Amino acid sequence: MRRGGAAVAAIACVAVSGPAQAHTVIAGMSGFPGGLLHPLLVPAHALLLLTLGLVAGAQAWPQRRILMLLFPLSQIAAVVLIVLAFAADTQNAILWLGAIAGALLALARPLPRVVTACVIAAGGVALMLDSVPALLSVQETLSALSGTAFSAFVLFALTAGLSSRLTRPWQMTGRRILGSWAAASAILVLALRLVK
Amino acid sequence: MRRVVLIVSISVAFAESAAAHTGHGLASGFTGGFLHPLFGPDHVVAMVAVGLWGAFLGSPAIIILPIVFPLMMAFGGVLGILGIPLPGVEIGIAVSAAVLGLMVALAAKPHIAIAAILVGLFAIFHGYAHGAEFPDGADALAYSLGFVIATGLLHLCGIAFGLLTQWPQGRLAVRAAGSAIAIAGLAFLGRLI
Repeated sequence: MRRGGAAVAAIACVAVSGPAQAHTVIAGMSGFPGGLLHPLLVPAHALLLLTLGLVAGAQAWPQRRILMLLFPLSQIAAVVLIVLAFAADTQNAILWLGAIAGALLALARPLPRVVTACVIAAGGVALMLDSVPALLSVQETLSALSGTAFSAFVLFALTAGLSSRLTRPWQMTGRRILGSWAAASAILVLALRLVK
Repeated sequence: MRRVVLIVSISVAFAESAAAHTGHGLASGFTGGFLHPLFGPDHVVAMVAVGLWGAFLGSPAIIILPIVFPLMMAFGGVLGILGIPLPGVEIGIAVSAAVLGLMVALAAKPHIAIAAILVGLFAIFHGYAHGAEFPDGADALAYSLGFVIATGLLHLCGIAFGLLTQWPQGRLAVRAAGSAIAIAGLAFLGRLI
C-alpha cells in the first residue's frame, strides 16, 4: 500500500514537474551575455523599448536630449533599488507603459513634457525590475543587469535616433500606425492576463 | 526498490510537463497570430476594403482609418477575451465587408468622423472574433503582434491598390474591386443567414 502511494506520488511529480531554471531566456546563458540578450528576446521588453524610443525620437531636440539622459538614469535608479533588495512584479506595468507609449504615438498630439518624461523614466525602471535573474549570486545578478541595461539603452537610443529622422508626412504617419499596432497588442495581452 | 527510486528520481529531474502541440515559443506565437487573419477570407476582404476606402477618401482618412482600426479592434478583442457577449459577431464581420466594399464601389465620401465611427464599429466585431479565438499556449504578445501586424499590412495593401485612384482607369479598377468585395461580403452574409 505504501509502495503504491509512493508510486502514485512519483508519477504525479513526473507528470507535473518542469525543468528548474533561473530567469533566463536562453537555457544555460546567464551573466552579462544573458542580460545582453534579455531585452531582445522578451517580446514585452522589446515592444516597450521600441515604443519608448519612437516616443523619444518624436520630440524636439532639447526635450529628446533630456529623455536620452533620463532613460539610463532611471535604469541606474532601478539597479540601486534591486541592490537594496527591492522587488516588484512589473510585467503588467511594462505592458501598460507599452500601451500608453503606443497610444501617445498614435495620437501624435503635443503633450506636457513631464508626461513623456514620466513614461520613459517609468519604462526604464519597470524594465530593469523585470529583468532580475533569479537564483544567482549578487555578482552574477549585477553582471546580468549590466548587460540588460546596456542593450536596452542601445535599442532605445537607436530607435530614438531613427524615429527623429522620420520627418516626412508619410514617415510620421508610419510612426503613428506603428504606435497604434503596439498599443493594440499590449492592450490585448493585458486583457488576457486579467482573465488568467 | 532502489533501482526504481533511482529511475523515478532521474525522471523527475529531467521531466518536462506534457504539451500537446500548443505552439509554445515566440516564432509559433507570432506566426500563428500573423496567419490568423489571412486564413479568414471575410477578414481579408474587409481589411483590404478599409485601405481602399482610406485611399479613396484621401487625407486625413488615409492616416486616421489605419490608426483607428487596430485600436478599436483591440477594444473588441478585450471584449472577446473577457467573454463579454457580443451578438452577431460573424454577421457583423460579413456586413463590414459588404458595407465597406459598397462604400468603395460608390466612391462614397462621408465626413471623416462618420467614416471613422463606421470603421471603428466594424473593427470591434473583427477584434472580438480574434480575441475569442486567442489560443492557449502560444506566446500571447507575439501572437497579438502577429495578427495586428497582419491586419495592418492588409490595410496597407488596400491603400497601395487604392493609390491607383490618381488615374481615371485606376479609379475604375478600385471601384470594381470595391464591388467585388461588397459581393463577397453579401455571399458571406448569405451563408450565415
